[in-house]
Amino acid sequence: MKYIEYINEILKQKVLEPEHLFIFGQNVSAGSCISGFTRGLKVKPGGRIVNTPNCENTLCGVGFGAMMNGVDAIFFMKQQDFLLLGIDQLVNTYNIVRRNNPKASFTIMPVIVDSGYEGPQSALNNFADFCSIARIPGYTITNKIDAQEIINKHLIAPGFRIIAISQRLFKTELIDIPCVYMNKDRSLFQYFQGQDVTIACFNLSLPYGLEIHRRMRENNIQASVFSINAAMPISWDEIVEDVQRTKRVIIIDDSKSVNVPYQSLLCALYAQGSMEKHVLVKRSYEGYWCRPHHDQLDIDYDKVISDLNIQGIGVINK
Amino acid sequence: MSHSALKEEILRKLLRLRMAQLIVNEMYKKGAFKVPVHLALGHEAIAVSLSEIMGLNDQLILNHRNIHYNLARVDSLKTEIDEYLLKNEGLAGGDLGSMNLVNEARGIVYSSSILGNNLAVAAGFAMAKSIRNDDGVVMVVTGDGAIEEGAFYESLVFEKSNQLPVIVIIENNQWSLGTKIEERRCTIDIGKLVSGLSIPYEQLSSNDTYEYIDKLTALKAIACERKTPVCVEVPLTTLGWWRQKTADFPDGKFINYHAGPSPSVNEQEDPYLARSSDDPLFVMEKYFSTDKIRLLAAETLAELKKAVL
Repeated sequence: MKYIEYINEILKQKVLEPEHLFIFGQNVSAGSCISGFTRGLKVKPGGRIVNTPNCENTLCGVGFGAMMNGVDAIFFMKQQDFLLLGIDQLVNTYNIVRRNNPKASFTIMPVIVDSGYEGPQSALNNFADFCSIARIPGYTITNKIDAQEIINKHLIAPGFRIIAISQRLFKTELIDIPCVYMNKDRSLFQYFQGQDVTIACFNLSLPYGLEIHRRMRENNIQASVFSINAAMPISWDEIVEDVQRTKRVIIIDDSKSVNVPYQSLLCALYAQGSMEKHVLVKRSYEGYWCRPHHDQLDIDYDKVISDLNIQGIGVINK
Repeated sequence: MSHSALKEEILRKLLRLRMAQLIVNEMYKKGAFKVPVHLALGHEAIAVSLSEIMGLNDQLILNHRNIHYNLARVDSLKTEIDEYLLKNEGLAGGDLGSMNLVNEARGIVYSSSILGNNLAVAAGFAMAKSIRNDDGVVMVVTGDGAIEEGAFYESLVFEKSNQLPVIVIIENNQWSLGTKIEERRCTIDIGKLVSGLSIPYEQLSSNDTYEYIDKLTALKAIACERKTPVCVEVPLTTLGWWRQKTADFPDGKFINYHAGPSPSVNEQEDPYLARSSDDPLFVMEKYFSTDKIRLLAAETLAELKKAVL
């Protein structure tokens, strides 16, 4: 099953639960829907699905208004880029809404266009920056487990949040791996536990982390793999505890954000003092980096592994 | 209550709104408030009228200049002043101050200090009502400055597309901060603009509170029966302007009241701020004698001061 097919399956079940659910967005129930996303969604008779005009600023306000008036609302949108038009609502209205702990829900589900080649104005892969403007709870979805857990816990729950999915992963095979731990907020998932290295994947970078994990395992290096699905800093206790054992950390962030939660993790690790070595995998910015190009990280996996200087474990220093 | 008693009750509400603002202005001049308050002297007719036609299921959404609507709905001037003073006893426990002040128990569900922001939120409130088949309409207040924002057009398109009964009140005092309409933009014929969206339009310009109540009642019925937004433009004058002498303007430059205290207005038993139709109290002289209005004003001021001080 493909990533987007599974997300649609989970959504279909979840949106049938409330009596009065308001689903809206451009093309949400027309044609190919949002390039396949939202295909087949149906709500109970007391709810409504609306294909809206192109007015993102107003649509964000509409979602908050519906929520304040007691109706659960979900705004699906084709690109996170378009959400920039709604920033007034995301900051100013949210700052009013959060005062009263609203009983109803408002969730925005945008697609992060991390697939590349869209051009300078349609490649806002800056989810953490985006959420940081008003400390908006933000969650990313990368695989079967987090899709299930995040959608079931957060899609329709009192309050406001953004749940982002990846364009890059749309048509890829769904990642289906067992989870060894997840925190209460479903913002931190651990997929493997190892003795030698800790891998912390931010934004939508879990597939890269899993590839590093696979290569390490071939070299008899046992790595823990965490995915941090939150756009805002969270409690790092589980990762810090893991690093106390492994001493080595690989941090991967495939976003273009400047306000990044991994810096908060690094501070926590430095403060704790067990980390002996870390490798940071992130984007580099040279020249006019906005020109159309692929958006994937070009990772020299062998170098990442050798940079950890793991002595006496497997054959890794090629 | 007899018809004449009802009329006098409306006059008393107008006077309460005027005299309460004079008290707030006096405290403001003495530096009592840290939050910015946007007085609405001269805006009383539309505020009292809108409050009068509000039913239990109606919801009112305001902008930054909301003192008149809040005062028209609040039971105690003191709780509103306490809010401006950011006291725990304030209407919102000191959380909201002036520009975002709400009074949910009396139907004021949202206020925004950002031009155009509240129009979109109003559309959401109306959508929720429609989904639940709730009675009542959403009323949203904006101004001649905010209609320049894209949110004005966007929200009307959304409301019309989704058959939402919303009454959009546009207070047109000609000014946005320190610029008059002709200093900042082309003319916008709101009637023509919204007619392009098949949205009913009405202009209320007499400053006659009784006439406004009748017309707003009819417009509310249209909004509910036709399931449509309606636009109501209310040309008015924000009273409290003054002239500021500067090197460039030795004779004094006209300063329209925007925010802060109005230095040209004093707390006084005489309620009039203009002897023209710019002042809705002057318009009341069609129905009441000047002496009667002055007498009721003095009584109202004394009652308010007793309650506040």
